[in-house]
Amino acid sequence: MSRSVRLGAFIIATLAILIAGIFVIGGKQYLFTSTYELKAQFNDVVGLDAGGDVRVGGVHVGTVHSILLPNKPGDKVTIVMDLGKSTHQIIKQDSVASIETEGLLGNQYMAISFGSPKAADVRDGDTISSQPPLEMADLLNKMSGILDTSQQAIQNATEATANLNSISAKINAGQGTAGALVNDKQLYTNLEQTSSAMRDTMVHAQAGVTDFEENMEAMKHNFLLRGYFKSRGYQDSAELAKNEVERLPQSEPTKEFSYSAKQLFDKQDSAKLKNQKSLKAGGEFLRDNQFGFAVVVVSAGMAGDTQKDLVLTEARAMVVREYLVENYGFDDSQLKTFGAGKQTDAGSDGAWGTVRILIYPTGTEIPPTKQTPAGVSAETSSEQRTPASASAQ
Amino acid sequence: MIDHSVSAAANMPVLVPEPSTVPVPAALPNKGLITQFLEWFGDLGIFFWNVLRAAVTPPFEFRELFRQLDEIGSMSLPLVALAGAATGIVLSMEARFSLTRFGAKSLLPAAIVFSIIHETGPIITGLVVSGRVGAGIGAELASMKVTEQIDAIEASAVNPYRLLAATRILACILMLPLLTLAADFSGLIMGWVTQALSEPLSFHQFINSGFKGSDFSDFLPPTFKTMVFGLIIGLIACFQGMRTQGGAAGVGRAATSSVVLSSLFVILADVVLVKLIIILFP
Repeated sequence: MSRSVRLGAFIIATLAILIAGIFVIGGKQYLFTSTYELKAQFNDVVGLDAGGDVRVGGVHVGTVHSILLPNKPGDKVTIVMDLGKSTHQIIKQDSVASIETEGLLGNQYMAISFGSPKAADVRDGDTISSQPPLEMADLLNKMSGILDTSQQAIQNATEATANLNSISAKINAGQGTAGALVNDKQLYTNLEQTSSAMRDTMVHAQAGVTDFEENMEAMKHNFLLRGYFKSRGYQDSAELAKNEVERLPQSEPTKEFSYSAKQLFDKQDSAKLKNQKSLKAGGEFLRDNQFGFAVVVVSAGMAGDTQKDLVLTEARAMVVREYLVENYGFDDSQLKTFGAGKQTDAGSDGAWGTVRILIYPTGTEIPPTKQTPAGVSAETSSEQRTPASASAQ
Repeated sequence: MIDHSVSAAANMPVLVPEPSTVPVPAALPNKGLITQFLEWFGDLGIFFWNVLRAAVTPPFEFRELFRQLDEIGSMSLPLVALAGAATGIVLSMEARFSLTRFGAKSLLPAAIVFSIIHETGPIITGLVVSGRVGAGIGAELASMKVTEQIDAIEASAVNPYRLLAATRILACILMLPLLTLAADFSGLIMGWVTQALSEPLSFHQFINSGFKGSDFSDFLPPTFKTMVFGLIIGLIACFQGMRTQGGAAGVGRAATSSVVLSSLFVILADVVLVKLIIILFP
């Protein structure tokens, strides 16, 4: 190798090292890429130095160019940053700069948050908003506060545990009601005996109620009371709405039998039938013809108490249905009742009201059964109201 | 060569090097140490002035300069690279040991990179070159002096300052930074290899974390301060060689004293230079 070649190789090789070094260091400072400038203002930069990293999303994208002290008290310290052009797409006007620490005691660096997509782009030299840095001293203050609180909590827990201890000791020793419950075998035996005695009592009470019902039934047929039920026309108020529908169907009936209540019933306020024979035409029609279902609709005149009239119409419908079912053979599930109560269009004998048998064709939907009869619901609602108002007073 | 007194030497024509004082005390027992010291510095100043004047005025001795660039630069490369590599390995091992002890192992690349490019690379290069080149120049010029070749050059109307001293000193100044870069490079490579042998670490990662937070003031001033080292080495070696007296023994003394003095002045100058760099490049 000639001398000049050797010298040339040496010089080129070492200059290449020099250039590589310059580019490694210059690359760290973004000296050879196009950059733009951003500013942020802080009350306290917590020891951040010029040349420090600027990170977006944890990626090193620029350097702190300079840190300028304010001109007058009350102003903020301004940090000037150089950022690579590549960050121009993600840093927006609403990005926030903050000073973070690497690890617990590491170097300080600037962190800039991503902007929202809709916010305006930043321009060279813009000042973005900043978030005051978290200082170790603040952190320690907060920590000591938390420690105080948790110490108190632990103290409370200790006291509670002590109380629990003393309670369980007392229970163990058999003191107090709980102690007696846990420790006294006799108490348990007593309780067991009491509950079995109560069970026996309940059985007896049930038998008593059955006997009472039978007695009541007998009394209804006793000659002293028989008259009341007979003139009323029916025995059991609880069965008034057993076959009653809630409403009449929308469709028109195929056949209608209409009677005056005066013609059928004993008295104006009674459900006792007197002229059953006049129902014959209706009964025979029901027996001899195919039909979907039929409703006995009873309405009362405008005289008298509304509630009483509703009960009366329900009772009359029931009585007519019972008569038809007993005397003419057909499927009794197809015959329903409907107590219409007071109605203005009550026919010629306005005060008495009317009885109609409406017959609907096959395929008509049977309306749902009424939940509670008028008489019963009226009584229960008044019973419910009384204790509630009493307790309110 | 006839001995001259100090005053006679100072008044001599500048073209003729007449170093009359010998730095070895045994040669002139009649002078005090302080006087000799001051004399030596005075002669050095005159010598430097002569060289400077000769260097900046044509004709320029490019042939000789290239010869010296090769002699001082490329011929020193293996030695300097080896010294740098060894330093890198040692630094890497030592830093690993001590930083692991303090739990700061993540700073290891930075510690190695900074210590090599800041100080170790330049000073190792300075000392190695002052050993190799200082001894070479000193011995060569001393033997030329005692065999009266310098007088012959002068007699053929060639300025020996220009031909012999200026070319060597300039070659030292130019080559030292380049040799420093080579030392830095081999030191970093070997530092990385040593780290990578202990635990997996890519070269890219090593360089990235090593140069983290560094700027040009960490790299360029320490590298180019070695030009001062080069000046010191070349100047002292040429000065010691060209003022040699007393035959073969004088050649030996000149070689020794150029190495010793140039190494010493390199280290002393480094003290001032480091302080100066810290002040100028904060």
